[in-house]
Amino acid sequence: MRILQYILRRLFYMIPVLFGVTILVFVISHAIPGDPAKMIAGPKASRQAIENIRKSHGLDQPLPIQYIRFVTGLVKGDLGVSIRNHRPVTHDLKDFLPATLELTLASIVICLGVGIPLGIISAVHRNRLPDHFTRVFSVFGVSMPVFWLGLMLLLLLFYRNLGWLPGSGRLDIDFSPPVHVTGLYLIDSLLDGQFDTFFNAAAHILLPAFCLSYVYLAIVTRIVRSSMIEVLGQDFIITARANGIAETAIVLKHAFKNSLIPTVTITGLSFGELLGGAILTETIFGWPGMGKYVVDSVNYLDFPAIMGFTLIVALVYVSINLLVDVLYAFLNPRIQY
Amino acid sequence: MKRWIGIVQMVFFLSLIGAPWVGAAGPDTLVVGVSSDIHTLDSGVSSDNYDWRQIYPCYDRLVKYKVINGKGSTEVEPQAAESWSVSDDGTVWTFKIRKGMAFDDGTALDATAVKFSFERTLKIGKGPADNIGAIKAMRIVDPYTLEVTLKNAYGPFLQTLATDGANIVNPNIMKHEKGGDLAQAWLAEHTDGSGPFKLVEWTRGQRAVLEAKSNYWGGAPKVKKVVVRFMAESADRRMALERGDIDIAENILIDQIPALEKNPDVAVQRYPSQLVEYVYINNQKSPLDNPKVRQALCYAVDYQGIIDYVLQGNGVQMRGPVPKGMWGHKSDLFQHTLDAAKAKSLLKEAGFGSGLNLTLIYSERRSSWEQIATILQSNFAQIGVTLKLQLMANPTLRDRVDKGDFELCLGAWSPDFADPFMFMNFWFDSKLWGLPGNRSFYKNDEVDALIRKAASIADQGQRTQLYQKAQEIIMDDAPYIFLYQVQTVVPMRKNVHGYVYNPMLESMYNFESISKE
Repeated sequence: MRILQYILRRLFYMIPVLFGVTILVFVISHAIPGDPAKMIAGPKASRQAIENIRKSHGLDQPLPIQYIRFVTGLVKGDLGVSIRNHRPVTHDLKDFLPATLELTLASIVICLGVGIPLGIISAVHRNRLPDHFTRVFSVFGVSMPVFWLGLMLLLLLFYRNLGWLPGSGRLDIDFSPPVHVTGLYLIDSLLDGQFDTFFNAAAHILLPAFCLSYVYLAIVTRIVRSSMIEVLGQDFIITARANGIAETAIVLKHAFKNSLIPTVTITGLSFGELLGGAILTETIFGWPGMGKYVVDSVNYLDFPAIMGFTLIVALVYVSINLLVDVLYAFLNPRIQY
Repeated sequence: MKRWIGIVQMVFFLSLIGAPWVGAAGPDTLVVGVSSDIHTLDSGVSSDNYDWRQIYPCYDRLVKYKVINGKGSTEVEPQAAESWSVSDDGTVWTFKIRKGMAFDDGTALDATAVKFSFERTLKIGKGPADNIGAIKAMRIVDPYTLEVTLKNAYGPFLQTLATDGANIVNPNIMKHEKGGDLAQAWLAEHTDGSGPFKLVEWTRGQRAVLEAKSNYWGGAPKVKKVVVRFMAESADRRMALERGDIDIAENILIDQIPALEKNPDVAVQRYPSQLVEYVYINNQKSPLDNPKVRQALCYAVDYQGIIDYVLQGNGVQMRGPVPKGMWGHKSDLFQHTLDAAKAKSLLKEAGFGSGLNLTLIYSERRSSWEQIATILQSNFAQIGVTLKLQLMANPTLRDRVDKGDFELCLGAWSPDFADPFMFMNFWFDSKLWGLPGNRSFYKNDEVDALIRKAASIADQGQRTQLYQKAQEIIMDDAPYIFLYQVQTVVPMRKNVHGYVYNPMLESMYNFESISKE
């Protein structure tokens, strides 16, 4: 019950946080000198055309009025209309957010699915061949620039030279996007029963998701390894061994569970960063996500789009942090709220 | 240990039997890999060639660019207009509309549709309205005859009717109008024209699909479908072209072209474009208000060096403001060449023998600018001018150019229609200071009079004379540094035929005539 109260309290705290984010972003994005109307009117626009655009988007109003209009709209769930492409920002988010979300989730799956076993193997076989291999693998991960990894290693090798995996984009051109339910192709195609679309989408997401996850995968591997090594050296493990408990059970049940807390922390933080920081990966792999969308928006000073994106990322970040805090209590009964 | 070797062996074996991925399209589908997504599909709103690439093939216009001997030209010929006549004073144009053209819902394309389309664009009042802004009034004489009255006689009028802003839109789009928006919200995401193609899918950030109309009045297109794939990264487009997953790759970085040329399946074509790059010199700011200082700067630039290094030879130095290939270009006009001694003596005459400090602003909009800026810096150092380089965000740059808050600034320009008006009147008319076109804040009454007169008459011979006279004065005044005219490089698969490059339709394609083996 107390945890429920805690969650409610934290949810309530989110309101001032998000409100603060809107003010901060509004002020920062308007501090950039420049006039979006002059960007959108086209390279050779006349004074009249620039003036018409300024008026039709309310850019001729004083800043406080523009802010109040934004917040009033926000309360009604309206994020305004993009200056650049004349569409409601909510429609743009609906188009671009799922792609980023799908890529982020796939990266997290790879990150944990590969990183945790590697970390465990590495800790158990400490200072032997598997451990050396894992350590080299993770040093590569944290030190390789995303651009080089994606372009040279992944696309050049697996797509152009070997031809085992498809190139950029979310689907081959013979496939139509599945009916929009969640916007996540892997889920929507299954819901629709289109298994060939599912496999095509899965093949497409493999390279970008690996590229995006590699840095965090390396970090997870190293964290699991070091905390496992620490736990494996503790007295209760020796006691367990003395009691004749099978080695697998010791490693997976006793040691691993105790090393989960730092892993959960790093995963939560990574999720937020993956969501907001996938721009390079999205560009290299032609992935139609939020990263590229927001960079284009910044280039055009498209205020409504920038605000919408930042709000969403802030919301996800705050929610994930809450989820992580709640998970702590489940993982370690000693933590209470 | 043995177990590990086993696993590695298994992974290796599995990877060998993996079947190669096949993603290439058949001969009925043309796939183009481009760098940028569409912003809007409304031709009354967009001033962007990347939008026009998809919009243009979906509509007809009154006139179209002629193809002469398989080559694109800047002359126009009838399309939806069968014929036309113009009053002696050049202000009243009467167009006879071709019969038998229709929109997808069966509505006939007639004088009403043309009048509706132009009125809509003018009412929206954004960029495209500037192109057809000469129109004062329109009158339907009979269902297939439209009379257009201009504000004044306007030389380039016919040329402006071949631009995307002059697309003929189905008047029935008005049933999608919401809150008096002239159906802008709907048309931003749909097309409704009588052209050879129709947009059937636009998945944002991924692709647009154009479907050919087999019953197009001008004959069915040779391919059934065109897929435009949005691929932001040049290297990605290059790899896809080499794999055959795309048929045409746009905007490949110039340093990747030599490698593509070695590929036996790829043909790389080069075309002289009308895209130019130049330096705005702020003529109102001291000491740049002194023509001698401006002349000195023009003499200090290593033009050929810039072309060889930045464009790897894919360009030619500009000779005056009107590029080669556009009528009105003067092939014997004076052209600046690198002459540091002359530049130094000009500076001395102007009273700056001991040197000068100037600032050049530029943004990252074009990949070439950083390199040009660095070369200019070292060129100017030779004549004692210390050039400070200032990189800034593009919106900030545009704002400062508009306000005249700069000394030197890098710029690029391409014409919307095939008329020297696009260069001469935009760049030099003192009424258009700032972003609208005269970005050097140049003012010369004689030039103003010459170019305004040239714009108001229809006779091309007379106009050429006026524009050429103005160019001679301009070269003395040196309001800009004219750098180069770019060559457009288009790499495509060798099995693609029928592509015609038109310098007026940069980044756009004649999809209706392209075929694939």
